[in-house]
Amino acid sequence: MSQLTHLQTLSGHTDRAWNLAWSPSGETLASCSGDKTVRLWTRRSPGSEEWVCDAILEESQTRTIRCCSWAPGGRQLATASFDATTAIWEVQGGVWEQVATLEGHENEVKGVAWSPSGCIIATCSRDKSVWLWEALPGNEYECMDVKQGHSQDVKAVVWHPEGEILVSCSYDDSMKLWRESDDEWICEQTLSGPGLGHASTVWGAAFEAGGKRMVSCSDDNTLKVWACRSRDGNLRWAPLTTLSGYHDRTVYSVDWSSSGAIASGSGDNSICIFEEEASASADVDPQQKPAFHLAVRQRDAHSTDINCVRWHPTDPTLLASAGDDGSIKLWRYHV
Amino acid sequence: MDLINPSPQVFERKDTDRKARTKQELAEDVRDPIDALEIFEHVRDLTDPEHPYTLEQLKVVSEDAITVKDDEGIVSVLFTPTVQHCSMATLIGLSLRVKLMQTLPSRFKVDIAVAPGSHSTEAAVNKQLNDKERVAAALENPNLLEMVNNCLAGSYR
Repeated sequence: MSQLTHLQTLSGHTDRAWNLAWSPSGETLASCSGDKTVRLWTRRSPGSEEWVCDAILEESQTRTIRCCSWAPGGRQLATASFDATTAIWEVQGGVWEQVATLEGHENEVKGVAWSPSGCIIATCSRDKSVWLWEALPGNEYECMDVKQGHSQDVKAVVWHPEGEILVSCSYDDSMKLWRESDDEWICEQTLSGPGLGHASTVWGAAFEAGGKRMVSCSDDNTLKVWACRSRDGNLRWAPLTTLSGYHDRTVYSVDWSSSGAIASGSGDNSICIFEEEASASADVDPQQKPAFHLAVRQRDAHSTDINCVRWHPTDPTLLASAGDDGSIKLWRYHV
Repeated sequence: MDLINPSPQVFERKDTDRKARTKQELAEDVRDPIDALEIFEHVRDLTDPEHPYTLEQLKVVSEDAITVKDDEGIVSVLFTPTVQHCSMATLIGLSLRVKLMQTLPSRFKVDIAVAPGSHSTEAAVNKQLNDKERVAAALENPNLLEMVNNCLAGSYR
């Protein structure tokens, strides 16, 4: 019987905790909040099960910090704010310093994602656009493309693990897949519409480790699993299954662990964990309709909405969650 | 500025004092469940954004359009803008949400929507009012916050 055991509550944020990001090595957990700060949490000592606040990044952005994303090397952190800026932070002489500001969005930046190669940063905003920024040596950042396409605000941007595809999730109920083609990023596919896409705002998405499938979450209270299929020589994404009836309110966050478990966090205060049926996971055929079952439903995981769930990158039994109560919780997942 | 609804119909403020309290409500060791009347008391005296009347006087809110599931921690408020194309609907809804965020215990989820058929862009208004990210961003906007606070001022008396 799978279960989720509460390990620790990390307190410190004085407003809603919006988003979490584990550093690539998993040594640091970054959290950001409506209190306009980012907190960095690390183990009290190497190997310790106790996490403590190691640094607070503040007095840079003047409104809610909505999202944070590590550079693949783990030496820099990008933070997106409702003040329309994205800040880049770096450790210099043992201290976190803001080293760059990405300005260009007209209003609230809602998502930021550093590409797996480290060369590109994607941001998205209430201004309906997705921006791609090239990371140049010396902490120079240059806008390389601005993508219009969504008809409403863009809630999140997520990179494919190989960096070939960028996914954007929007209040217009659609997801768009972007791919580089001759120095330009083009919208290759839009996932939306009856029988295909979500029926309301898409809040987030996450890829499976190998990048062959992804999962999305929505204000329609469901999760959808998608697979990449080859059709007429082109790669097309198609819906595989919808996980409905598990959450009673908006699903704000989803993440896919390195061992194959899908975690979701919702406005119904619960965290759900889904596992694929053993028979189907043996040799994953992307054509096959997968069967996911609910492994754990942790009711009242927070006393409020859950805004973010993130698996530890190297320890698939460790999960972090963030809630409207301002707290971050760490959980141990036992299969 | 032209008013959206230059001459709204104005109704009397109702007397809604609780008359018959049950034995259970009087017992001190029992927590009174929150009910629709209590929610109505919180929001009835919010001021309309463009008239010197309360939301109750304009029949924008009423007790029977409020649903409370105390045990599940869910409050649902339907409001009726005075005109179908009311551009103030999102401001009214935002003010209702802020008032209930201030007064209700944090365990409550609040759903706010215009009454079915009462607004020309009903789905869009409802979606916006229940997107907490948009609400959070709106409340960081000083101009909008001032308008919300003006609506709320009357309800604190």
